[in-house]
Amino acid sequence: MNEKIQRKIFQYFKKNRIENFIGVPDSTLKHFIDEGLKSKKILIVNREEEAIGIGAGMILAGSSTIMFMQNAGFANSISTITSLIQLYQIPMIFLIGWRGYLKNDAPEHEKIGQIQPKLLKNLNLENKILTDKTWEKDCKWALSKMKKNIPVALVIRREFLD
Amino acid sequence: MIRKDAVEVVCKYAKNDVIVSANGFISRDLHSSLEKNTNFYMIGSMGLASSIGLGIALKKPKKRIFVFDGDGNILMNLGSLVTIGSLQPKNLIHIIFDNKIHESTGGQPTFADKISISKIAKATNYTVFSVKTKKILENVLKKSHRLNGPILIHVLVTKSKERSSRVEISPKKIKDRFMNAIK
Repeated sequence: MNEKIQRKIFQYFKKNRIENFIGVPDSTLKHFIDEGLKSKKILIVNREEEAIGIGAGMILAGSSTIMFMQNAGFANSISTITSLIQLYQIPMIFLIGWRGYLKNDAPEHEKIGQIQPKLLKNLNLENKILTDKTWEKDCKWALSKMKKNIPVALVIRREFLD
Repeated sequence: MIRKDAVEVVCKYAKNDVIVSANGFISRDLHSSLEKNTNFYMIGSMGLASSIGLGIALKKPKKRIFVFDGDGNILMNLGSLVTIGSLQPKNLIHIIFDNKIHESTGGQPTFADKISISKIAKATNYTVFSVKTKKILENVLKKSHRLNGPILIHVLVTKSKERSSRVEISPKKIKDRFMNAIK
């Protein structure tokens, strides 16, 4: 996904009253994160599970929150997602950078990248892949789910190698 | 002092405050000592009580937020001390009931007797108190109103066979009533 769209996605959520953006950096999402840093709306913490805990606390306090992370960090957090976010029905939006989407991505991303769609499916976590053309519709969908207390995931594919 | 007695003492000073309690016996002890809508009882996601408490504290700066944590719990999420110490929420009181074991899973040892949780918290810029007796715990809680957080009270407790009963409220109800109560 190109830089301009990533910046637009951040601004879209900000405009739609998402108050907090918390997570652990990911190169796939770097322009989204950079746009948030410029607005001083981003909180970067040590680990993804910790980020989800802080985000959950903010949502409990009535303040809407998006989490951003790489799929590796998302995988680290599965127990937190099932036993906190899904169990208590906390309406959180996950923005996930999908490493290992390209077959020739770095070797450490290969396995987790392969099982990423299945992981979301097995968790019963409703999700959409954001693209340059359809991102706005899918971001709107995520916000509507949030209002119904349903946590969801939005995925951005890593379509470049470095 | 056993953990349940220590929990009761803290509850006397936190009747009108928000409390986030760690999973396992700590949530059970809180539930039997002081049941109220502004308690968030965790039943899963071990290690995250302090992170959840931080999120609430940042968004509700006029309320006092207590976190009831254990040694096993905080050792699982030590990075949380770094984040709390960095963000300096003035309204956060982090209590660690330290029995040096994972009592909820059968009393297996933690590393809490090999290192100093208090020193780690000091290094991350908390205001730290380490207490062993009810009387000193009460004194610290009394003066906590006049101090800026983040405050960490490291309460050394002894293990015991005393068990509080399970929290029977559904997780969704715990969340819904909590959110309504702190609006």
